[in-house]
Amino acid sequence: MSVDLSNVRNIGISAHIDSGKTTLTERILFYTDRIHAIHDVRGKDGVGAKMDSMELERERGITIQSAATYCNWKGKDINIIDTPGHVDFTIEVERALRVLDGAVLVLCSVGGVQSQSITVNRQMTRYKVPRIAFINKCDRTGANPERVTAQLREKLGLNAHMVQIPIGLENDLVGVIDLVTMKALYFDGDNGEVVREDVIPAGLQDKAQAKREELLEAVSMFSDDLMEVMLEEGDIHPDLIQDAIRKGTLALEFTPVFVGSAYKNKAVQPMLDGVAAYLPCPTDVVNMALDLNNEEKEFPVSNDPADPLVMLAFKLEDGRYGQLTYVRTYQGKVTKGDTVFNSRTGKKVKIGRLCRMHSDEMEDIEFCGSGDIVALFGVDCASGDTFTSGEISCSMSSMHIPEPVISLAIIPVDNKAQINMSKALNRFTKEDPTFKTFVDHETSETIISGMGELHLEVYVERMKREYNAEVTVGAPQVAYRETITARAEFNYTHKKQTGGSGQFGRVAGYMEPLEEGEYEFVDSIVGGVIPREFISSCDKGFQKSLVKGALCGSAVTGVRCVINDGAYHNVDSSDVAFQLAAIGAFKDGYMKAKPVIMEPIMKVSVEGPTEFQGSIMGSINQRRGMIIGTMEEGQYTVVEADVPLSEMFGYSTILRSLTQGKAEFTMEFSAFKQVPKLVNDELIKKYQSERKNG
Amino acid sequence: MGKKNLVMNNPLRILGLEKKVQDKDASMGLVMSRPGLGKTAILVQIALDSMLWGDKVLHVSIGESFDKTRAWYDDILALMGSTEKADSFQTTVAEILPNRMIMTFKETGFSPIKLEERLGDLVQQNIYKPVCLIIDGYDFQGGTHKDLEEFKAFMVRKGVKMIWFSATTHREDERKSAAGVPAPCHEIDDLFDAILMIEPKDDAVDLKILKCTGCSVDPGTSLILDPSTMLIQKA
Repeated sequence: MSVDLSNVRNIGISAHIDSGKTTLTERILFYTDRIHAIHDVRGKDGVGAKMDSMELERERGITIQSAATYCNWKGKDINIIDTPGHVDFTIEVERALRVLDGAVLVLCSVGGVQSQSITVNRQMTRYKVPRIAFINKCDRTGANPERVTAQLREKLGLNAHMVQIPIGLENDLVGVIDLVTMKALYFDGDNGEVVREDVIPAGLQDKAQAKREELLEAVSMFSDDLMEVMLEEGDIHPDLIQDAIRKGTLALEFTPVFVGSAYKNKAVQPMLDGVAAYLPCPTDVVNMALDLNNEEKEFPVSNDPADPLVMLAFKLEDGRYGQLTYVRTYQGKVTKGDTVFNSRTGKKVKIGRLCRMHSDEMEDIEFCGSGDIVALFGVDCASGDTFTSGEISCSMSSMHIPEPVISLAIIPVDNKAQINMSKALNRFTKEDPTFKTFVDHETSETIISGMGELHLEVYVERMKREYNAEVTVGAPQVAYRETITARAEFNYTHKKQTGGSGQFGRVAGYMEPLEEGEYEFVDSIVGGVIPREFISSCDKGFQKSLVKGALCGSAVTGVRCVINDGAYHNVDSSDVAFQLAAIGAFKDGYMKAKPVIMEPIMKVSVEGPTEFQGSIMGSINQRRGMIIGTMEEGQYTVVEADVPLSEMFGYSTILRSLTQGKAEFTMEFSAFKQVPKLVNDELIKKYQSERKNG
Repeated sequence: MGKKNLVMNNPLRILGLEKKVQDKDASMGLVMSRPGLGKTAILVQIALDSMLWGDKVLHVSIGESFDKTRAWYDDILALMGSTEKADSFQTTVAEILPNRMIMTFKETGFSPIKLEERLGDLVQQNIYKPVCLIIDGYDFQGGTHKDLEEFKAFMVRKGVKMIWFSATTHREDERKSAAGVPAPCHEIDDLFDAILMIEPKDDAVDLKILKCTGCSVDPGTSLILDPSTMLIQKA
């Protein structure tokens, strides 16, 4: 591999689901001689596309994990990350964008700019990733690349202009016209591998000329030289146009639009030329690291292989041979056998094996330099860790990780499944920071949480397939709380005489709401009416009462229990007797203290096209949500609201259907608030009927 | 008790402005000043007053972020509540916050028609029915008498009883109406029932009442904005 960084391109391919980006990647690998046969995503040959290496991906025809691969095109080393299109897997897209220098935004010529294209575009803008657009599927009925280009401008606000126009559309698509060189390109051979240049068909001359002028007008502002030649009405050399397009693209002020059909093997190679010509090399972009020795002050990494190593682990995979860690090197170089430091843990790590990945196949390499994306073997780390050579202490800027929005309880079917499930959960949480798991001590269930129903569904599926962990999935549970709203006295005597030594204890005092904290016990006993040794028994008894409230069986919080009176018996009083007396006292006082049920309220932020604002607000209103505000930003509106968690289950599906899949939402915990009377009564009724039925 | 106290102690009481919302239909108010003197602070005090009376307020912020707008409320509420008992004040705040909704627009994306559309979404679905509108950041340079009349008309259509605007004046533009209302509102001052003007004077910030049909300030009272809190005070 060459070390000239100007010949390196780290690119991502991202788009809406089903835009054909995996097919496009497959063709890229074919044309760059990385694979020697083409397999379709849902192909009849049963092989599946190269990049969809996970069994589940091939079955569903969607890409779940972004497999990294490498190819060489006309002397340029291209590292490609294929990214998933479904919104639930957005973290994969975000992580890919973090380590990439440029991206190809793939769009369907029929579907146009869809919701995920909008999300991905926003992410690209956030990470300042220069992009080119490829309007795929121009062979489909209803294909209209010009309309899609207009949408790129209107919906995404990009300064997008076609650098190619198609020759024919739908079934008649035969090639493209390159507006920079003003040549027609045809793709001959069984798989379109032979690119043939020709003159522009007579019928398309005028259109091509008009489109070229549009393009020149748009890009001339990025190059004084081009502007000058245009003013002088001289011959414009293609290099001059390419240079202007590159400048505009790198400055994120221009998006060149390519057209074609990957499935029909049309115009993939010119798009690759575009990647080489217009997308940045590692030295064209500035990446910032945080100096851990200087209050995390940002500094730019140098990209210089001679400088100390800075390398980011952006993705983990559990491969057949152990943990595979995908890394991007930002400066310095790493050679097989080197020892590096993990900035987060401070631990030394030896690089035993270094590989260049080609989906699930690999190629051993001796070293990798600045700007490279490769995989390490057997390195214990978490996603997002930074490795350095130890001479400097820094971390790459933290990645934006959205909070999980949905939780499910999972129950292993047997002991074996329990062990395998633990292994699987341990692996998944390391691989994917948006996937979280914990044991709910109240219900003793294992809860998994993630970015959406499909996200969790895929992990449950993977548990079964990869770890043989059969689990049953429960309905999502909301953690309600109970609390009291008034002060109430209690006085309870526990007395039992059933032969042998009896039980006796009297506990009196009051309970009151506690402003801050969950529980407080105050001992105001004077004169030894309850002996010292039984005071802690009272505390224990109260604490046991807090585990399950009498209203709906949820934990009780925000209670101060004060004991100020009591009685004991020299023989019959014991630890157990006073615990039971305190439990009885709590019961005695609790219902008088006007208990209420509290529910978790989530801060919900829904983002979608302005045209759906009314539907979005309506859907929040129906969920007992309180809309705090709306923010209208061009074509987009964000609605912020406080909504009870119990009303949010299934919301992603409802939101998708309400907004044609164009809106998305995030939510995070905000506070516990009292449930309305109607819900309160329902919860009490439900709990009572559960108790009745055992 | 907290809520009543806050109503009584609202700095607006100094203006003698009573609960104007119920008085009559479609009243419009205006707060004017050069940039950065506290127009938003006064608008928020007016909004909070309505919220405390139990009226629903829609705060429309043009060219300002949602978080910044919300921060204005948090700050002024904290100042107003500094003399209250913490727990009862928190209860009051929790009680009145459902009476506020914030809507932000980009400068280029706002028009009375668009606002009416959005308001329609809220009212028709019975989500939120504001009676008081705060419109902060409206561009009066671009607005005409007709546009403002349009606001009045849609107030009637949507059941809004009061709108308060802010308008930015500029030192170099010396145009004024007969009533002394400066540009850019000198030709539309007839449409407003109340116009307040903030003016810097030495170390203080004066609050002048250029026009107010419902105000009853005691004779000789001059009002200022406390520069550290932006709350209305007697000089």
